[in-house]
Amino acid sequence: MVLKRPIYILTASKAGSITSSMNTLLSIQEIGRRSPRFDALDKALGKEHFASDLYPKEMLWAGALRAGIPHGRINSVNTARAEALKGVHCVLTRKDVPGSNRQGFVYWDMPVLCGTKVRHAGDAIALVVAENRQILARALKLIEVDITPLPIIDSMDAALEQKASRVHDLETGNVLKSATITKGDPAEAMSHCDIILEETFFSPVQEHAYIETENGVARFDKDGILHLTVSTQAPFRDRFEIARALGLDHNKIHIINPYLGGAFGGKDGATVQCLLALAAMHVRGRSIKMWWDRKESMLAGYKRHGARMHYKLGAQKDGTLVALQCELDYDTGAYAHLGVEIMALGLEHAGGPYRIANMESKGRCIYTNNPIGGAFRGFGVAQVCFAFEGMMDRLAAKIGMDPLALRRKNALVRGDRNCAGVTMTHSTGMDECLSRLSDHPLWKTRKKWIAAAPPFKRRSVGISAVFNGMGYGRGLADYAIAKVKLTPSGFIRVYNGVSDMGQGNASTFVQIAGEILCQRRETMELIQPDTDRTHPSGSATAGRTTYTYGKALIKACEALRDKLFNRAALMLLVDDGSGFAMIPGGVRHLPSGRDVSLVDLAGMMMPDDRISMAEYLMPTTPEMPMGGETFKLGFPHLIYPFAAHLARVEVDELTGEINVHDYLAFTDGGRVLNPQVFEQQVQGATAQGLGYALFEEVKTREALLETKDFSTYILPTSLDLPDIESHAVETIEHSGPFGMKGIGEVGMNAPLPAVASAMAHAGLPMDHAPFTQERVLAALDGTKRIDHEYKI
Amino acid sequence: MITLLPETLEDMWEMFLDQPDFKIMSGGTDLLVRLGVSPEQPSAVVCLEKINALKTIEKSRDEIRIGSGVTLTELLKNDLILKHLPILHTAISTLGSPLIRNMGTLGGNICTASPAGDTLPALHLLDARVSLYSDKGNRILSLDKFIQGPGRTLLSDKEILGSIIIPLPHGCNVHHFEKVGQRRALAIAVVSFAALLKVHGGVVEEARLAWGSVGPTIVRTREAEKALVGKELTLKNLNHAAALARSAVNPISDVRASACHRRRVAGNLLLRLAAL
Amino acid sequence: MNIKFELNGKQVQFSVDGSMRALDLLRENCGITGPKEGCGSGECGACAVWIDGVTKLSCLMLAAQLHGRKVTTIEGLATDDVPHPLQQSFAEKGAVQCGYCTPGMIMTAAELLENEKMPDREMIRKAISGNICRCTGYHKIVDAVEDAAEIMQEMKS
Repeated sequence: MVLKRPIYILTASKAGSITSSMNTLLSIQEIGRRSPRFDALDKALGKEHFASDLYPKEMLWAGALRAGIPHGRINSVNTARAEALKGVHCVLTRKDVPGSNRQGFVYWDMPVLCGTKVRHAGDAIALVVAENRQILARALKLIEVDITPLPIIDSMDAALEQKASRVHDLETGNVLKSATITKGDPAEAMSHCDIILEETFFSPVQEHAYIETENGVARFDKDGILHLTVSTQAPFRDRFEIARALGLDHNKIHIINPYLGGAFGGKDGATVQCLLALAAMHVRGRSIKMWWDRKESMLAGYKRHGARMHYKLGAQKDGTLVALQCELDYDTGAYAHLGVEIMALGLEHAGGPYRIANMESKGRCIYTNNPIGGAFRGFGVAQVCFAFEGMMDRLAAKIGMDPLALRRKNALVRGDRNCAGVTMTHSTGMDECLSRLSDHPLWKTRKKWIAAAPPFKRRSVGISAVFNGMGYGRGLADYAIAKVKLTPSGFIRVYNGVSDMGQGNASTFVQIAGEILCQRRETMELIQPDTDRTHPSGSATAGRTTYTYGKALIKACEALRDKLFNRAALMLLVDDGSGFAMIPGGVRHLPSGRDVSLVDLAGMMMPDDRISMAEYLMPTTPEMPMGGETFKLGFPHLIYPFAAHLARVEVDELTGEINVHDYLAFTDGGRVLNPQVFEQQVQGATAQGLGYALFEEVKTREALLETKDFSTYILPTSLDLPDIESHAVETIEHSGPFGMKGIGEVGMNAPLPAVASAMAHAGLPMDHAPFTQERVLAALDGTKRIDHEYKI
Repeated sequence: MITLLPETLEDMWEMFLDQPDFKIMSGGTDLLVRLGVSPEQPSAVVCLEKINALKTIEKSRDEIRIGSGVTLTELLKNDLILKHLPILHTAISTLGSPLIRNMGTLGGNICTASPAGDTLPALHLLDARVSLYSDKGNRILSLDKFIQGPGRTLLSDKEILGSIIIPLPHGCNVHHFEKVGQRRALAIAVVSFAALLKVHGGVVEEARLAWGSVGPTIVRTREAEKALVGKELTLKNLNHAAALARSAVNPISDVRASACHRRRVAGNLLLRLAAL
Repeated sequence: MNIKFELNGKQVQFSVDGSMRALDLLRENCGITGPKEGCGSGECGACAVWIDGVTKLSCLMLAAQLHGRKVTTIEGLATDDVPHPLQQSFAEKGAVQCGYCTPGMIMTAAELLENEKMPDREMIRKAISGNICRCTGYHKIVDAVEDAAEIMQEMKS
């Protein structure tokens, strides 16, 4: 039998929450190596336990009663019949919530259980704890709620009306926040432009659609400690949110954070945490599980904000961009979540990765009774990329310039100020991405390909250029605390403090430790975030995870390495720790050629000596754009990854169907730590971006969800996506770990404008995404579809 | 709720007698989705999956008879279907996903009686008949009579759809089916279109045309069919028939598409015949 | 009602309620958590298992339907502590990200490779079109299935 690679043998077993590598491939975990992920085989074997896979003994089920109507005053909630049902442990309402009852990052405007008012159909009104799911379902139906309906604010236009009913009692009506960022003098500059173009774009509400829906298990122990195992992106922040909302001491909340079955931003913030904690407080000593089914997830979960973007772009005939004025409206739904910060990123990125001397971007974040807008990969930026790239294609058509040449002419280079006014002082690979794309056969042979279109098919090729600020930005410390330990058995154990929602950061951490400590993966261990064992390191968001924790981990590993050298020097009776090198399983004293094993070193070292810790804080820009002071946090950014994408599309002239035939992505993420994980991020983000371009649209009617499940909310299947060719454009991000910067988000921003670009060059300029068959056919027929049916 | 798994028809008739209200389940891919959200559970679900009498495929000189319990995957793998009923084969290949087709049955797709049922336009053009079984005997109805409207059939209480009888379409040399969904798998038809044609020397001698998802049941337009007979499949002729088709269909607006879009696409799909 | 079936090579027996879903029986009573629930309505494929060697959606099956059947889940795919080539290829080729769709995806792909020795990319894409993956864009999943098919052929020869 000839095999082209060794077979894995399943040997190691799991102890506690330690994930040990299960293969015997004798590779050092090196930076730059295309190595399989540390977590991959366990997941492929079905052995990985996600939060939803926990079924503790004598477990109870908790579930929430959802409002079902989008806006109203609660008159009464009668729980008597539900409480009387056998197998029901408790039925809780607002009066049973001991703390502030408020959740939500910055604005704390979202109740755990609504007591007086409902603001969207997914609001929780009561919480039931029952023996099993059947009883839970029956009990929820027995709760009687009397709500007086209020006028429904089902669109941003409705919210902005003079006499609009107020979703929250704000002095500013339904405008949660408005802001204007200014650079130069756009009004004056516009008057000198050869060409002025105007357009309004609409981008849809998008569902995260992680396959593992929101869930967790809670138990309130007799010693007063609340234990929660949750599918969350921010276990450390969750403790404070739960403590504030429920009047608990955050030090008595213990959160375990296994691998997530996807998140993409949607598990950043309150989902099941407070509800579960509340249930556990009332039924002490029992484990309680809450697991939203798909419909509840779609009803109550967060979404990408729908946006309306009015753009006015001024340019010269030669393609030089001169001035941009834009107005961005984001529908944050019933609650703020991170809506203001999301809008801030929209303003910051409104002009694209281009030099524009004059810009005024105005933004409004608006409350409605629609589903809640929240964090989603591409955080406010995915929306504006559609608009500014749409303007670039319109400008290219207007002046008869090659769309790629137009982009290259204006692309940011180091030393430029970006549209928000931040000087590009870090790695800036935008032009290199475009340059590499221009040399690719998919671009060079486009005319021939287009000419070979079969009957009833129209072919076109589009490109897009995008960027995405990395990290929290100013106003919120983007920090991480890494911990690494030599175990008594001579293994290296990494204590990961940042959730792994599937992006593979945890695996990359093992790789970083392996690189510095020169160890093989089978002698490495990984602890997933746990507020009792790992250290607060921020949320798994903003393309920051590997960057920030990675930087801290490099320092921690170097400190451990130096310590191992010094201790080995003691054991070998040499002068000091110089002259040592790490080798697999030990250290070597190079001058004498003697080795000391890690097991022997571990035996000699005291337990606390075997641990090294280090922290890192991401730098921020000292420049503040005019108008940016209004944002308390998250604005602006210093470091940006860049990307240029190409899409070859074929439009069916009879049905309006768009087939994305070929796809190509060039990404500047600095140095690539693991090409496989890098491609995973690019391909995954592109897939979500193509879904956003082609199908995905959360639809509501009078603020009630119409896309309630996976048969009406359309996700791309394997037949709807092409192979996605990914290339890295390796700049060096000098501040980053080994020169990398985060690319989790930037890939999400490019597919929609790339497909839109192809459509524009096919004579079908689109201003309303996604490009459903209906919208495309209407464009083909030169007729406008009546879009008021689904208001933005 | 109890689950009953009779192994013969006779066992099943007896089980029917004991149950006050029951649901019949073939593949379960529609029924269990609906039961999952319904607060009213029946006293029993009677599964047909173990009854071998419902799993046969037989061909006689002029007909193919398919047991209602044959799964869609089994039909796709069956050479008789591919050879003699290519239009049905194509239609089945667009239904749901491989996983759905591994479970779902032809009988189930018919009894669900969805206006978007993927096999229905083809079965309609093939003049399929259904054989209904009960403890009192069998009766045969044409498919277009059997399906009354969305979710409504002439299936009586304690009666099941036993088999589907499909006459072979002798002489038809164009077997065309196209489904327009919102995506390429796991899609519910926005519009579907089936055409069976006899074309000789470029001229249409006979045309059968049917549309799905553009009315409460399958829409067949004799006007459009007549308009093609004696003509060549040119864009001009097809456009004329398409206009007739658009006025014959009666679609609704829903979350998937507007009525206006469905009507437009229903006509457009005829034009594809020009590219054959 | 009492049911007996073969689960990953072992005979098991349970008393189940008629309305219980097969998926819940596996996850809650059998300790088999490889099959996942992603939608509960057959639209995602995360719950896919083999019933007598045919991949089916365990969220759309009643537990009672398992009676007398041979049920294989992702946990039963490896033999003698050696992973199935697909499990190995998925790990090696980067087809696993969050991993939540992976068990269902692999079961579907494994059935394909039982029937097709060397499927091309289009055939693979068709075969897995009922399994939604939200992380990968499918590209590396298709790579992994191709790779596993090759390895299985090498192992046979």
